[in-house]
Amino acid sequence: MPDKPQDPSAPPSSRWSRRTFLKGVGVAAVSAETMLAESTKAVEPPPPGADALNTPIEGPVKITLNVNDQARAVTVEPRTTLLSALRDRLDPPITGPKLVCNEATCGGCTVLLDGKPVFGCSVLACDAVGKKVTTVEGLGTPDKMNAVQKAFVEKDAMMCGFCTPGFVTTISALLAKNPNPTEEQVREACRGNFCRCGTYPHIFAAAQAAAQANRK
Amino acid sequence: MAKKTVKVPKIVDGVPVGEVEIQVDDNGGPSWGANDKHRLLNKPMIRVDGAAKATGTAIYTQDVRPPGMLFGRFLASPRAHAKITKLDLEPAKKLPGVKAVLAVVNVGGEVRFEGEPVVAVAATTPEVAEDASRAVVVEFQDLPHVVKGAEALQPNAPQVVGRPPRIQKQGDAEKTAKALESCDAVIEAQYTSPMLHHCCLETHSITADFNGKDTATVYASTQGTFTIPGDSARELGLPQNKVTSIVQNMGGGFGSKFGIGIAGQWACRLAKEVGAPVKMALTRREEFLAAGNGPGAIQKFKAGANKDGKLVAVMATQYALPGIGNSNLAGQPYQYKAEHTYREAQAVHTNEDASVAMRAPGHPQASFAMESLMDELAYKIGMDPVEFRKKNAQDQAWHRQLDAGAKAIGWENRNKTPGEGKGNLRRGMGCGIGAWGGGGNAQCQVDVTIGKDGSVIAAVGSQDLGTGTRTYIRAIVAEELGLEINDVVEHIGSSKLGNANASGGSTTAASLSPAVKDAAYNARVEMAKRVAPLLGAQPDGVVFDQGRVMGNGKSLPWKQACAALPEAGLTAHGKWQPTLSSSGVHGASFAEVEVDVETGHVRVVKMCHVQDCGLPLNRTALHSQINGGMIQSIGMALYEGRVMDSDLGVMVNPGLGDYKLPGTLEIPELIPIIDDGDNRQAVIGMAEGANVPGVGAVANAVYNACGVRVRDLPITPDKILSGIIAMQKRMT
Repeated sequence: MPDKPQDPSAPPSSRWSRRTFLKGVGVAAVSAETMLAESTKAVEPPPPGADALNTPIEGPVKITLNVNDQARAVTVEPRTTLLSALRDRLDPPITGPKLVCNEATCGGCTVLLDGKPVFGCSVLACDAVGKKVTTVEGLGTPDKMNAVQKAFVEKDAMMCGFCTPGFVTTISALLAKNPNPTEEQVREACRGNFCRCGTYPHIFAAAQAAAQANRK
Repeated sequence: MAKKTVKVPKIVDGVPVGEVEIQVDDNGGPSWGANDKHRLLNKPMIRVDGAAKATGTAIYTQDVRPPGMLFGRFLASPRAHAKITKLDLEPAKKLPGVKAVLAVVNVGGEVRFEGEPVVAVAATTPEVAEDASRAVVVEFQDLPHVVKGAEALQPNAPQVVGRPPRIQKQGDAEKTAKALESCDAVIEAQYTSPMLHHCCLETHSITADFNGKDTATVYASTQGTFTIPGDSARELGLPQNKVTSIVQNMGGGFGSKFGIGIAGQWACRLAKEVGAPVKMALTRREEFLAAGNGPGAIQKFKAGANKDGKLVAVMATQYALPGIGNSNLAGQPYQYKAEHTYREAQAVHTNEDASVAMRAPGHPQASFAMESLMDELAYKIGMDPVEFRKKNAQDQAWHRQLDAGAKAIGWENRNKTPGEGKGNLRRGMGCGIGAWGGGGNAQCQVDVTIGKDGSVIAAVGSQDLGTGTRTYIRAIVAEELGLEINDVVEHIGSSKLGNANASGGSTTAASLSPAVKDAAYNARVEMAKRVAPLLGAQPDGVVFDQGRVMGNGKSLPWKQACAALPEAGLTAHGKWQPTLSSSGVHGASFAEVEVDVETGHVRVVKMCHVQDCGLPLNRTALHSQINGGMIQSIGMALYEGRVMDSDLGVMVNPGLGDYKLPGTLEIPELIPIIDDGDNRQAVIGMAEGANVPGVGAVANAVYNACGVRVRDLPITPDKILSGIIAMQKRMT
C-alpha cells in the first residue's frame, strides 16, 4: 500500500488535537441502533479557548473510521483501541488483524494508518479518525491478492496463519517504501512481528518474491 | 496391496494421442504404492487455504461474534498460594453492561498458582468486562509457596500436591555403578531446562453460542474438534448431540489445546447463566500463567564410555517440573543403547500452573541432556561426536541421517579442538538425534461424495492446525480419482461431520490420510461400476487419470462420466487402514553457531535437520514443519524460559516482550532435509520429531565454538561469560 498524499479535508496530523477531533467528527449522542445505546452520552465540545488536549472525553462516543476506503460508523469508548473497534465493535467486524498480545509486542494486529504500519492494539480508535486505515483485507482479496499475499501462498509462508495478516501488512508497507529490499531489510521491517509455527524462512522468501513480482 | 500397470490413452490438451502405461491401485484394496511414483503426493504442493489466510478472510475462533455476544473475562489470582478470605462480587455486578459475575473459587477456597482464575465475568464490551474484573473485591491470606524446582527439592519445602512423590525406578543400580568403575571415561553432570510456554498466537479461546434454548454451537481454538461437545454439553446442561463444535482455523496449539479448558468451561457457564453467547479469550498474560506449559527438568547423570566408542553405563536421575500437574520426561539414555542403565524419575511440584503436552512432550528436555552428555563423552575419549553417536544409536536410520546432516552443515569444518578459533567471533558445530512415534489410529470416519455435476467433496470433522491437513485431504482424493487438487473440496472442522482424532502426538496424518485414501478408493470402485457400462468395459478395467475416466479403449471427460451417476451422486465411506500408516520417525539436527566471546552473545549461523516420515504427503508443508521444529529448538536452546520470583511466587516474564521467542533477527540459514532413504510406503506423523534434537545440537555447537559447556538452558550471554572466566582462571 503506497503512502498516499494526505486527504486535504483531513486535519494535518501536526495540528491534530482532541478539540479538532471533536469538531471534525461531531461527537454526539448515539442513536438506538448501537449496542451501547442505553448508556451512550453526549459529549459536549469544549468551550472556545479551552485546552483541547486536556479536555477529557468520557463515555461512549460515535466516530467514523475510514477502513479499507469505506466510511464505517462505530461507537467506542475513548480507551477503545483501533484493534478492538475493528474486531469487537464494527458490525460486520473486520477480523484480519489479530488480537495476540494487546501490548505491542507481537505485530499480529498490524494495520496501516495512512500507509504506515502500526500496532492496532496500541492506537486508540479515536486517534484513527480522519486517517486512512488499511487492514490485510484492504490489501487484496482471495480472488485479487496483492503481490505479497500471492507470494505468501506460493512460498508457503504460513502454517497456522494467525501471524500472517500482520506479516503481510508489514511487508506490503515495506515494499511500498522500498521496492527492492534486501533480506536484512525485510528482517528489520518485521522485527515487531512474531510467528510461533516457525515460518520465517518462507516469509523472507515471499517478501523477495513479491518485490520481484512488483518489478515486472 | 498391489499396484498394477495399465495402458491408458495419453491425453495432450484434452485430445488422446497414443497410449501410455500408468500404475494404478489394484482393486484388491487401497495402497499408496511406491513413494516416488505419486502424481500429487510427495511433491511440493501449495496450501489450499493459503489465500484465505493471506488475505485475512480465514475465520478463527476469536473472529467469531454471534449476535448479542458478551465478552468474558477472568479475575486471575495475583498470589502463588493463598486462601480466599473475602469475595465481594457486588461492585462488579453494579457496573452498567455487566451481565454476569461468577465466583470460580469461593471464600475458603484456595488458589494454588499465580493466574488461577478467581472470578469470571461477562459484559457487553471488552472494556466493561475488564472493569468488572477489577471491581471485584477479593482478599487473600497467603499460604507457603515454592516456585522453583531446585527449592522444591529441599527437605523442608512446602508441599504442593499433598502426596508423597512417586519415584519410578528402572534398571540395575548396582551393576551400573560397578560398570562405571571400569569405564575409560566418566562424566558426572547435571543438566537443567526451565518451564517453557507454547505461546500459541491465538490464546485459548472459546465462544459458546448459546441462547438458553436446546442447542448450542461452540467455536473453539482447539486441536480436537471432538474433544469439545462432550465437555461443553455438560457445562451447558444439554445432551451432547445438541452441541456442535466448529474449528475452521486455529491459531496454534503445540499440545496445549485439548478439551474446553478453563476458557471454555467458563464461557459455557457464563453463557448458561445469562442465556446469551459468551466469548472467553484468555489474555496474553493469562495464557502464560494459566493455559498450561511445558515442564522444566533437572537431570543428573553419571555415565561412562570406553575409548573404542562404546557407551557402557548410564545412571540418570530425572526430575520433571510440571507445576501442580503431572508429566514425564522421555527415559534416559533416550535413543542410545548402553550395556548398563539405571534410571530414577519423579515429578517435583511447584506452585505453578499444571504442565500439559508440549510439542514432543518430555523429548526435547531428555534429548538436550543426553545429547550434551554424549558430546561430553565423545570429547573426553577423543572421538568424532558423529562417529560416537553412530556407534551407540539404537536404529540404523540415524547412520544415514547423521551422514546427510554432516554433509549439509560441512561437519569437516568444525573445530577439532573446541574454542580453537581466533578473534572474538568463534564458530563451532554440534549435532543431536531424536525420535517420535507418529503412528495412526482407527478414529477417523471420512465420506467422499461425487456429485452428478462432477464436483467432489471429502468430509471429515478433523481440524487443520496449520500442518496442511486440508491440502493433503484434497490431494489424496484427487490422486485416486485422476483429478487435480482444486477439483476437490474438503469440509472439515465440525463435529457434525465424521469423527476424527484429536491432533496430539503427531497422529493426525497417520490416522486421517488412510481413512481419506480408503474413502477415495471406495468412491473410485463405486464410480467404476457406474461408468463401466458407458465404456463397454469391466469395472476393474476402468481407469481414472488426467481428469478422464477410461476403459475399453474409450475415454470420457470426468464431468461427462459423472453424469452417469444418480441424482444424489455417490457417497463412499472410508476408515483407517492399518497398512496405510506406520509408526516411528527419526531425525538428526546439526547446528553451526558463532559465539562472541567478548559479549557472550550466541548467533546460530546455519542449521539443518534430516527427518524421515514414511510417505511424505506434501514436501512443501514438510519443509515448513521441519523449519518450525528447528526454530523452536533454537528458542529452547538460547532464549526461552519461565522466570520465577521465589519470594513473591510470581512469574517475572509473562508476556511476549519478556519471554523471548526467536524473531526475525534470530533466524539462521535453515536447511530442511526430507530423508528419502526411508522407503516405508506408509504415512507417519513427523512434526514432533523435528523440534527434538536441535536443542542439543545448538548447545553442543556452542561448546565446539568457545569451549564453554553450558548445562543450564537457555544459553544466555551471562552463562557463556561465566564459563569463559572460569576457563581463564583454570588456565592461570
